[in-house]
Amino acid sequence: MKVLVIVPAYNEEQNILKTIRDIQKSGPESIQYLVINDCSTDKTKSVLRQAEANYLDLPINLGIGGGVQTGYRYALEYGYDIAIQFDGDGQHDAQYLQDLIAPIERGEADVVIGSRFLEKEGFQSTGLRRLGINFLSGLIHLLCGVKVRDVTSGMRAVNRSMIERFAADYAQDYPEPEAILAAGLAGAKIVEVPVQMRERQGGVSSINPVRSVYYMIKVSLALILFRLMYGREAKNDQ
Amino acid sequence: MISRTLQIVMLFAVAVYFVLLLLLLKKRSLHLKYTLLWIFSGILMLVLAVFPHLLDWFAALIGIYEPTNALFSLIFFCVIMILMSLTAIVSKLNEKNKQLAQVVALLEQRVRELEKEK
Repeated sequence: MKVLVIVPAYNEEQNILKTIRDIQKSGPESIQYLVINDCSTDKTKSVLRQAEANYLDLPINLGIGGGVQTGYRYALEYGYDIAIQFDGDGQHDAQYLQDLIAPIERGEADVVIGSRFLEKEGFQSTGLRRLGINFLSGLIHLLCGVKVRDVTSGMRAVNRSMIERFAADYAQDYPEPEAILAAGLAGAKIVEVPVQMRERQGGVSSINPVRSVYYMIKVSLALILFRLMYGREAKNDQ
Repeated sequence: MISRTLQIVMLFAVAVYFVLLLLLLKKRSLHLKYTLLWIFSGILMLVLAVFPHLLDWFAALIGIYEPTNALFSLIFFCVIMILMSLTAIVSKLNEKNKQLAQVVALLEQRVRELEKEK
């Protein structure tokens, strides 16, 4: 199967090459990667060009949702069977790529999410943030009946039919939880596999306390609205 | 019944409003498609300025004591409709803009790969 790792990167000049090397070293052999440079204001682009990396250069900043969607469009155009989202900030560990792919290869899942909370190892995020994630997890369970623990995990693999779906329509504002809800409402089979994540290795995180609360309120509203507006698709059991 | 003074002011204001609208249209700084709501609102105000009794009838109908307040709520309604249509237009534009950026990025990568092969 052709597998593409989509690596969204915004101002990751310090981490991006490490991430690429990690994917090439620890990932399965046939795997290919694509970095999405979301109009970074630092030297990310020249770093990528000098390394002759495989990257897309967005002419305007689209945010994480629009950036990742560009990767799905690429995967669709070049006929990939599996696409994996993998953060470019050094938090994700490429040794888990094979674990993410396996359930899809066995035909047991449409979407596989790398979850920090299944075995509770590695970087677990702070208590308050955990509370927020658990709340969103419960909300998504309520809205579409799918139980996912680590709803904000940016490490996820999807199969060909989800690539097609996400290439056409992908959540823009709060893509991690919203994409799970969208997949759940579409009747996709969602599986979580245990992974460990690291703390950021360099660069600046985009999250701070005030923004986190604001984020929670906005995401919850967006999820509820999404459910009310688009509802559940007719479920086909097999 | 609204006062004669207000009626005259309204007529004058609507006239200025339409002149401005037509000027912008003529200069092509407004798309006709996006101006329809403005034109409808203007026509509504014009009708009310010429036949102020309509305002009395409308105020009584929806339980407003003062016809002038009915006039304000109508204007407010028009403004909200125009704002909503603006938000819809911006959202559509945003989506199209995003798609364009994505296609450009995909093409740019393709060109780069082709140049490498040469």
